Amino acid sequence: MTGPLSVLFGWAFLVPLAPTLAFVVIGLFGRRMQRLEWGGWVAVGGALFAMVLGVLIAVGEMLTPGSYTDRSFQWFTLAGSGTGAFPNGFSLVMGTLVDPLSAVMLIVVTVVGFLVMLFSIDYMHRDSGLPRYYAELSLFLASMLGLVLADNLLQFFLFWELVGVCSYFLIGFYYQRPAAASAAKEAFLVTRIGDVLFLLGIFIYFQQFATAGPALGWAAAGFPFVYHSAPFLAGIPISNPTLFTIAGLLILGGAAGKSAQFPLDVWLPDAMEGPTTVSALIHAATMVAAGVYLLAITSVFIGFSATDQLAIVAIGGFTTFWAATMALVNRDIKRVIAYSTVSQLGYMVLAVGAGFTMVGLYHLFTHAFFKALLFLAAGAVIHAIETQDLFKMGGLRKTMRVTSIGFLIGGLSLAGIPPLAGFFSKDDVLGGVYLAAQSHPLYWPFFALAFLTVFMTAYYIFRAWFLAFSGDQPRDSTLPQAHEPPWTMRLPILVLSALAVVAGLLAFVPQFGGLFAAGARFPPTPGVPPSYSATDLLLSGVSVGLGAGGILTAYTLWGNGRVFTLDARSAAQPIRRLLLERYYVKAGVDWFGLHAVYGLARLADFFDQYVIDGTVHGFERLFAEFSLRLRRIQSGVVLDYAAYVVAGLAVFLLFFFVIVPAIPALGGG
Amino acid sequence: MIPILSITLATLFVGTLATFAAGPRARYVAAAVSAIFLAEIAGMFALFSAPALGLALPTQFAEPESYPWIQVAWLHVNYTVGIDGISLVLILLTGILQAVTVAYSWTEQRQPAAWFGLVLLTCLGCFGVFAALDVLLFFVFWEVVLVPMFFLIGYWGGPRRRYAALKFFIYTHVASVTMLVALLVTAFYSHSASLDFASMAASAQTLALPTQIILFLSLFFGFGVKFPIVPFHTWLPDAHVEAPTGGSVLLAGLLLKLGGYGLIRWALEILPTGLQHVAPILYAVAFASIVWGAGVSLAQRDLKRLVAYSSINHMGIVLLAIALYSSLGLLAAVLLMFAHGIVSALLFMVSGSVHHTFGSRDIATVSGITPTAPVLSTMTMTGALASLGLPALISFPAEFTALLATWDKIGFWVLIPLGALVITAAFYIWMMQRLLFGTPKSIPVGAHDLPYPEAFAMGVLVVLSVLYGILPNLLIHFIQLSPVAGLP
Repeated sequence: MTGPLSVLFGWAFLVPLAPTLAFVVIGLFGRRMQRLEWGGWVAVGGALFAMVLGVLIAVGEMLTPGSYTDRSFQWFTLAGSGTGAFPNGFSLVMGTLVDPLSAVMLIVVTVVGFLVMLFSIDYMHRDSGLPRYYAELSLFLASMLGLVLADNLLQFFLFWELVGVCSYFLIGFYYQRPAAASAAKEAFLVTRIGDVLFLLGIFIYFQQFATAGPALGWAAAGFPFVYHSAPFLAGIPISNPTLFTIAGLLILGGAAGKSAQFPLDVWLPDAMEGPTTVSALIHAATMVAAGVYLLAITSVFIGFSATDQLAIVAIGGFTTFWAATMALVNRDIKRVIAYSTVSQLGYMVLAVGAGFTMVGLYHLFTHAFFKALLFLAAGAVIHAIETQDLFKMGGLRKTMRVTSIGFLIGGLSLAGIPPLAGFFSKDDVLGGVYLAAQSHPLYWPFFALAFLTVFMTAYYIFRAWFLAFSGDQPRDSTLPQAHEPPWTMRLPILVLSALAVVAGLLAFVPQFGGLFAAGARFPPTPGVPPSYSATDLLLSGVSVGLGAGGILTAYTLWGNGRVFTLDARSAAQPIRRLLLERYYVKAGVDWFGLHAVYGLARLADFFDQYVIDGTVHGFERLFAEFSLRLRRIQSGVVLDYAAYVVAGLAVFLLFFFVIVPAIPALGGG
Repeated sequence: MIPILSITLATLFVGTLATFAAGPRARYVAAAVSAIFLAEIAGMFALFSAPALGLALPTQFAEPESYPWIQVAWLHVNYTVGIDGISLVLILLTGILQAVTVAYSWTEQRQPAAWFGLVLLTCLGCFGVFAALDVLLFFVFWEVVLVPMFFLIGYWGGPRRRYAALKFFIYTHVASVTMLVALLVTAFYSHSASLDFASMAASAQTLALPTQIILFLSLFFGFGVKFPIVPFHTWLPDAHVEAPTGGSVLLAGLLLKLGGYGLIRWALEILPTGLQHVAPILYAVAFASIVWGAGVSLAQRDLKRLVAYSSINHMGIVLLAIALYSSLGLLAAVLLMFAHGIVSALLFMVSGSVHHTFGSRDIATVSGITPTAPVLSTMTMTGALASLGLPALISFPAEFTALLATWDKIGFWVLIPLGALVITAAFYIWMMQRLLFGTPKSIPVGAHDLPYPEAFAMGVLVVLSVLYGILPNLLIHFIQLSPVAGLP
């Protein structure tokens, strides 16, 4: 099918290329520019181009739905040798793929990316190292866009790693602060564990499909087995279902690392050490979204294994609850939002696991806008009063009206209050899991956890709002006078506020909703509607009620400048302590790294130096001793030498006339 | 037909002599020789890419030249040289590393003529090893490499240079002798018509299986020490720590590759049956090297020692890929050797520059160098990220292929090298955290960023890492022009 915008599909590679060029320009010339902000405007320009083209391509996909690939770059070619596992060789190709999933992601990543870039101009202007910031941010955006448009898993992995390393650099942007350098390391290493699992998953798919592929006629094309290859799957003989199940679990491991799902969630809250703009990008559009997107594109395979689906539902459902509990007590505004991200990602994972891939993506779509909004609003607050401690803030609604309303809209959306964006997608997630649980009873506990989390979500985000914005004045009077931010910061907040209101409703526009309706459930099951949308009003009603209850509870405890203090002897104190200490997971991980891993390494080093090299030195001494003794035969006495000559001759004769003829291999016998 | 290999050998020989004789102007001669060498390598690539130029045998040795050398009744030694895709890529590495080593040590003050002459002699030896197709000729070049390296470490090295140089020499020499004896026994036992590679590869198949296995294991020991394999590796960290930067670059970048190349050409290709029967032993040694190298790296405080142990880890993956005995594995092994040559050279240059800029390589003491030396810091990051296998940099396609080949052949054992990837990431990332980031500590007054020659040398390596990382086909295409591309 061709439409007015179809011509753009072949130019999709320009979307990641524009920020890449911005990266190169800023990287090469950034430090020589007269005014350092100049680099910022280059980055904004790259992001703007990517946004315009990306959104146009997404609109084109809405008008003419389908999968459009452009595979032109031969990255890696192995000639076949006629035998072995890859008789015809293989060729790994880089290309772009425009389909409903990538179209949704294109909108999310480019819009949020552009707004964050714009916000950065004034937010970051006091910092040094701006060229580095904008270069890395541009590369971050470019990598994520490359990942979104990837048309095969290897290319996906390539950009996946680049996204990881960019987030490493950005989290560690204030690298002179030990905490930032440490958080960056933690983020890289924890996600690396997931990456390694993901890589093994790719190997398994690769091998399985290399065998099955030729029959389907796409051996030469490498392994383009992402979402759009669904039609092929019916014809693929799955030779080894166990291996397929394992591959699904490995992919889940990769996704869990990137999307900070339990037990690989420890890095995301610490990633707060980066600039708030970076947090906004990581939490909304790049990095963590990649894990959910990975599950979405591989759901075609994962869907074949009930075990994998259950594992995903379990991880997602549990993370939803686990992270929300930690958000209940934290006093750092950014950390509260960070835990909410982990929790909301759990919802997305849960939906994908239950088979509602597009519902998960729908929640990713709405979440991106209200989460970026919450972070940028928090960023505006931090920029104005230079603290992140909620207990020092207060009354900011009077001085920062736009920001407070933005945060409020983001909070309402997160809490799932209709008709804001979060309501629709969260309702769809819960409804979908509810539906799936009818036939999979093991899903019920995780559905229950996710349902309970609705209350907690509303509570913790409004606790943060009341603490920061309600009341008469800041609790800490030494803070700088708060002020409304300049237009480059206000504009993104306003745009995102608007999107946080309407993003959910957009799904009711037929063309746009079509993106989500196209193949919403894998494996396709007869008789199940493609997308759940508010069919069970009772469920929706209870969930909204829980949200409202959470807000009300927050108001009672923290509204109008109130501060709720837990009695020191209260039975809840140990729980509060446990939550503040993050269930001691962080401490455990640090202990494990420093004592177990590093301790073992020290031990190995000791062994290497004193046992292995010690043995080498032992041989050295052995030879020294030996030669010392041997030296004594050089006595200088002629008779001794004559004796050696006779003995030598005897051995020689014995060898050639007795031993050699006895050995056939030496020509004797 | 142009005898390009002999011409190259002759130019390198004359160039080395001229450098020794050039006195204070040696560096210009060395630079000129490097440029000519690179041009000759370009010529070899041209011959391989355009069959019209006289080359029609992509799966055979190109440009073979053979002249009788020592001819007695029972011994036929020839001067035989010839290259295939594998040697070609490693020769390219030799040319690149020779040029960047000369560039890096441009301002060498102590005995510059001897320094540059020895550097060139090392590269001449390596080139000879990669081009020789006769056992004795191969062995001559193999030993030629040891001598200049012995002096490079022993004269220009650190405080314990004499100990390190001797240890290096004796250790690798014991291995060389084992290797020579095993090769000669192979030739004589199998009644090979000559000591030529082709003749030996054909006749060795007639040997009894136990003989093949014993001979292969002896060769494996001989080449393995050069890799180096655990537990015969302790000469490497000592040699590196004491070696001057240029010496380390050649040692890690080229000398370790001699082991890998020798194992492919003179063990795997001559005694394939032997390899297949002892493959589990090789896997075990490879796993030990991979895990041990990575684990011990994590405990190092000396940046150079850390990089040295990481070499053991990477060369372990090379060994694993060779032991798989598949075309994909061999492709991976050669690609990885090339990648490791570039990246370890970069990292050893970084160690050298850190040492003479900040007076110490102790990453637990020196920290926060980024504000003082942003360029050096960028080079360090690129090297570390390339070494830990970041995509778009050179090691990724190699490691990806190696691990895929491993999975394909021995299944879930691949979890061992995959797990080691996490440790590799850990020690590099932790090193960066301590050395580059954090509060500046132990920064001497007047410390400055990289001088131009060093920045240039490292810049070239960075550019190559990116280039081959994005376009690995530039190498893969050539590596497959080899007789062993036909393996299963």
